[in-house]
Amino acid sequence: MHILIFKTNIDTEDAHKEIGALLNAETSIIDWNIDQEDIDKVLRIESRINNTTDIIHRISKAGFICEELPD
Amino acid sequence: MRVRDTHKETLVRQNAITMLLRDGFDGFSMQKLAKACGISVGTLYIYYKNKEDLIIRLGIEEGSRMLKETMKGFSADMPFAEGLKKQWENRAAYWLKNKEAVRFYEKIKRTHYAEPILDEITRSFKPVMHAFVKNAIANKQLHFMSFESYWSVAFGPLYTLLEFEDKGKSVGNRVYKFSKKTMYETLELVLKALTP
Repeated sequence: MHILIFKTNIDTEDAHKEIGALLNAETSIIDWNIDQEDIDKVLRIESRINNTTDIIHRISKAGFICEELPD
Repeated sequence: MRVRDTHKETLVRQNAITMLLRDGFDGFSMQKLAKACGISVGTLYIYYKNKEDLIIRLGIEEGSRMLKETMKGFSADMPFAEGLKKQWENRAAYWLKNKEAVRFYEKIKRTHYAEPILDEITRSFKPVMHAFVKNAIANKQLHFMSFESYWSVAFGPLYTLLEFEDKGKSVGNRVYKFSKKTMYETLELVLKALTP
């Protein structure tokens, strides 16, 4: 399993729902959560594959900031 | 690929407990914790989903460790006096050796995080303690009474002594150091009160 961590600006209920729908539709994703309390609105994804680039691309396309948080 | 590192997990656990005790649950954040550990926020999120997940899992870990130590050499079929003595010895030993972890656990018990933690850790502990008390009553080694009366008499005095030890002072600012002598002396009185 891969754990993918991103810094985002997904900070509203609507944004959370929109991105949630997008992530739930992705079959490789086992689980995900956004830490709304954190300043970086950290998106944490547990995925069967390392689809980091694809996720960044899709969330950016939806109009949000999404950058991988370095180790 | 991101890999788990047990050294980092230990470092995170120790720093988190220290920070939570110092700053409280509201003053605590994943960002501050990462900084204190000298690791990136990204790394911290590999181990924990968010602040709540971290606090609950730390509570479960510390609570389980404590209960495991409490149950060492103890079994539900022990005679009441012997079993309670073992419980006192185990609880005192754990408290004295793990003061920070105990303080953390006591603090977390008074928050909304307590419920999922207690649900998880008392699952195996509860039936054993329940059977112990049931056996003791059936064997006429313990008076029948409400659970709260039982617990406060059976364990309250021990925790009072341990709290004195924590402060280094007892009532009226008297200097106090926990000793087996005072522990057994108190236990004897507790047994007198509880047993027929």
